[in-house]
Amino acid sequence: MTGFAHTLAPVIENVGLARGTYRLRVHAPALAQAIRPGQFVMLRLPDSSDPLLGRPFALYDTYLDEHHQPAGIDIVYLVVGKLTGLLAHVHSGDRVALWGPLGNGFPALPALEHLALVAGGIGQTPFLAYLRELLGTRGYGGDAPRRRVDRVSLYYGVRTQELAAGIEDFRTAGATVHLASDDGSLGFKGFVTQLLAQHDAPQHLVGCGPEPMLKALANLAQRWTVPCHLSLETPMACGLGICFSCVTRVRTADGWDYKRVCVEGPIFEAAQLIWE
Amino acid sequence: MDLSVTLGRLTLRNPILVASGTFGYAREMASVVDFARLGGIIPKTVTSQPRQGNPPPRTVETASGMLNAIGLDNDGLTHFLHHHLPYLRTLPTAIIVNIAGKTEDEFVHMAEQLAPHEGAAAVELNLSCPNVSGGVDFAIDPIVTRRVVQRVRQVCPLPVLAKLTPNVTNLVPIAAAAAEAGADAVSLVNTFVGMAIDWRRRRPILGNITGGLSGPAIKPLALRAVWQVARQVAIPILGVGGIATSDDVMEFLLAGASAVQLGTVNFYDPTACQRVAEELPRCLEHLGAASVREVVGTLRLPGS
Repeated sequence: MTGFAHTLAPVIENVGLARGTYRLRVHAPALAQAIRPGQFVMLRLPDSSDPLLGRPFALYDTYLDEHHQPAGIDIVYLVVGKLTGLLAHVHSGDRVALWGPLGNGFPALPALEHLALVAGGIGQTPFLAYLRELLGTRGYGGDAPRRRVDRVSLYYGVRTQELAAGIEDFRTAGATVHLASDDGSLGFKGFVTQLLAQHDAPQHLVGCGPEPMLKALANLAQRWTVPCHLSLETPMACGLGICFSCVTRVRTADGWDYKRVCVEGPIFEAAQLIWE
Repeated sequence: MDLSVTLGRLTLRNPILVASGTFGYAREMASVVDFARLGGIIPKTVTSQPRQGNPPPRTVETASGMLNAIGLDNDGLTHFLHHHLPYLRTLPTAIIVNIAGKTEDEFVHMAEQLAPHEGAAAVELNLSCPNVSGGVDFAIDPIVTRRVVQRVRQVCPLPVLAKLTPNVTNLVPIAAAAAEAGADAVSLVNTFVGMAIDWRRRRPILGNITGGLSGPAIKPLALRAVWQVARQVAIPILGVGGIATSDDVMEFLLAGASAVQLGTVNFYDPTACQRVAEELPRCLEHLGAASVREVVGTLRLPGS
């Protein structure tokens, strides 16, 4: 965990992207220079004991200053509870407590022709920075940009069109975007994994979203015999590995054990996971 | 300013410790906190055998607090002695090893196994974890508490701290039993048993149904427990329960704690322990004190 920072970060902007969905930009240079795609930060409203705990948010992307140096980070969040409800009312100039970078981040991959990112609901948020890293348009954690994958597809499913957030960001960053919605209001009508199954298998799959979607993706990956990594989200108190709250069941040499999603994840190989 | 404190046979650089179960095995915090600022670190409870812990969800936030039911997830004493203790003993602060046994004998055997290893400044007996199904909450009973402490003292030359549960009608006789049995200090208090319900799903939120409440919500309760025991039992006290700021620390010192443990705050304000330790001298100066010791238990009561 090099480059760790715990700061009171000024909010630059907090803009609506979709129904109940916002992009928060905070000034945090040390954090922005260290963080890598797939890692996350803990965010807390300072001077509040209710909500008391921070919440984990994936890096959406870093933003650069006029000298093209990372100046801060963007997170994209959906209002689902107490903290995100309050966060939606945060303004430019307010401060939020932040700590990170946290978690293992997406794996380094061999050179690939085609990789598919598969997102459900608010699960698209870790993928923008990863997409830019894979296509070599942005370097992270002090690394120079280097293209690793020829072609990246984003399969993105939402309940309904109004909840789709950031599609233009992904297109602009170079992904081929395939959309699905439960009610058919956007793209394919049905689950994103059903849409994906109609296409040819990519060489690698990376997924983030609700657990039923991740299970379906893990099954598809197994059927296709394609390596698959999943980014998990579990309730977390600290993000640092000290509370042992956020565990998930992971296969071990002699059966299984609970592993902390915050430090041993949030990215796991799909085949390692044991679903409840 | 003399920040050092003495708890029986244990002397610490300053009175700011981090509580068991809220600081991992310290290595997780190596890039977060300067350990040399702390009076001591109490790593996560170790049990005799590895335990997978309780099914998730293991924690849930409540008003100004949280419930946890981790279930003593740990890799067992052998792993601790060979993997964690060699790292912990290199840290520039006191390490107090927290152990929990399922039986009295287990406490005794664990203390015996720990004793010859270098690196532990003291042992804290977790007599009070509320989350171990089938386990016994030893510290609800003064007789059992006395026996466990006595037997651990016989086999283990390290200073012994007894961490007690507040889930009793009266803590005083239990703290007195620990004192009579030769405990160097008592840690007051472990979490308060509570629960949270999702009424829409008609289900308890925690996988374990009940859990231990911690955080700022319990600070007044912990403060009262410390004050009550300090008045009636002659034993040094480590105050623990919702302590998050240097103001909180001062309140516990005045109530009668000789040192404190910061717990849940490590989760939501990970550099708090260091900041509190840095702020403490100024708070002591405010009272005209030149040492921590001279403010302990100096609360002025009405009419005095």
